[in-house]
Amino acid sequence: MRGIVELFSDTISAVRGFVSETSGRRAWTADNGLSWPKGGARNIVLKEDLGLELGSPQMESVSCLLWTHDISAIKDGTITLLGPDFPESMGQNLPFGKVVLAGVEGFTQDNAYDLHKDLDFLRYSIDMEGFMMRSVSQYLREWCRISAEAIRRGFSARILGSALIGLFRERPFVKSVEVIYVTSSPADVVRLREITAPAERIIAAMNKMAQEMDFECSSCDYRDVCDEADGLKGMRERLMDKSREALHG
Amino acid sequence: MAEARIIAVCGKGGVGKTSVSALMVSLLARNGHGKILAIDADPAVGLATSLGISVRKTVDDIRKDLIAQIQKGDAPGNRQTLELLDYEIFDALQEQNGYALLAIGRPEDEGCFCRVNNLLKDIIADLAHRFDIVLIDGEAGIEQINRRVMKTVNHLVLVSDTSAKGINVANAIALVAGERKAVDYRDIGLVLNRVRSEEEARDIGSRTRLEVYGWIADDEDIRDFDFRGAPLTGIPDSSPALVTVSDIMRKLRLIP
Repeated sequence: MRGIVELFSDTISAVRGFVSETSGRRAWTADNGLSWPKGGARNIVLKEDLGLELGSPQMESVSCLLWTHDISAIKDGTITLLGPDFPESMGQNLPFGKVVLAGVEGFTQDNAYDLHKDLDFLRYSIDMEGFMMRSVSQYLREWCRISAEAIRRGFSARILGSALIGLFRERPFVKSVEVIYVTSSPADVVRLREITAPAERIIAAMNKMAQEMDFECSSCDYRDVCDEADGLKGMRERLMDKSREALHG
Repeated sequence: MAEARIIAVCGKGGVGKTSVSALMVSLLARNGHGKILAIDADPAVGLATSLGISVRKTVDDIRKDLIAQIQKGDAPGNRQTLELLDYEIFDALQEQNGYALLAIGRPEDEGCFCRVNNLLKDIIADLAHRFDIVLIDGEAGIEQINRRVMKTVNHLVLVSDTSAKGINVANAIALVAGERKAVDYRDIGLVLNRVRSEEEARDIGSRTRLEVYGWIADDEDIRDFDFRGAPLTGIPDSSPALVTVSDIMRKLRLIP
């Protein structure tokens, strides 16, 4: 049985195993000094300006956020890339995998869902000229476009990862953070999707709990997920209490 | 950076409105005038056809999928719905040489899904404002542009042939847009299509309070392209219709 802070521990270990088994990996340290101009409200990358497409709807894509209270389990500030870097991939449409690992504190059954969503939506705050992202967290998909001009000017996984890590570090409850990108092959991204599938089910179960007032477990698709994790059961009980309070005052 | 300039083209069905829209899109793309978005708000997706585009996915398809998901009891949360629609609408964009096209599809079917409709409208408006010029090819009623696409446009271009019915519809649209505030616009004008002579154009102009932006003579090239179902993007530069639409667009300062 896993408590709320250990919900993703097994998946984090599996991701670590995947990274260490995959050849051709590179790693950098996030650098706040790697500045990039802001894109502004009109930032859009259309095909005619396109330099690199990552995880498009026709390609394999997975994007996942995993957190743990074991802060030392995260290689703080590290950006790992499996596969070609963006400047080496001009004109290509590559599969895309992204895993953000965060060492956090203060997550409880009461606040874990809200804090998870807060961290998950940080990716929308990335505002970099020539970079555009669309995502569906429901399906753990992320689709990025980088303009040819940005690629020519050296927009890289390190620059993107540094910006994302910078945003996570602005949250006081984030104590360590690292990012893993995969561009190597569709098979690697499919493998990463398989590895992160249990986390996807946990996130889907949390979403369902947060959105539905009906807490009938017998017919729920995610019953097996909750049965595996005490933390989720506790979260459900808290939500039921809140729901009863709202109903009866 | 300047705001997007938004042109809405409306008029009675069958007056050549979509051909005028297609020529406008073609001219904007040829002039390389920044990022161009064409929105085909006609349920028959005539603009897409006139531009030689086979529509893969419409906004209405996206809406129907989401509603089916909701009805199945699989409703995503608010922010997730927003990101899902944003993703799907960007995927529905058909990116061509010099412009992108978004097809709206059929109007809503039975049942009220105001939240979905409003989210879609917000996302379309947000997307539109990332472009430099947006051209909306609407159907006869101006209300559906307001309801399904956006409320504020810069240029409201009404297209009519020389028939009394066509002119009446154009006048009615102007009335609904202006006095009933169905759409906020900066300027409004009429493009007369399939005109036989300058005298006929003047005569019609004298019977409407609308400014006549220009008149297009009956054009053999357009007729031939329509007959063959060929995209109007390939129409020769010498086509009288193209020349007239260029003049109108220069007048509106949409092309140099």
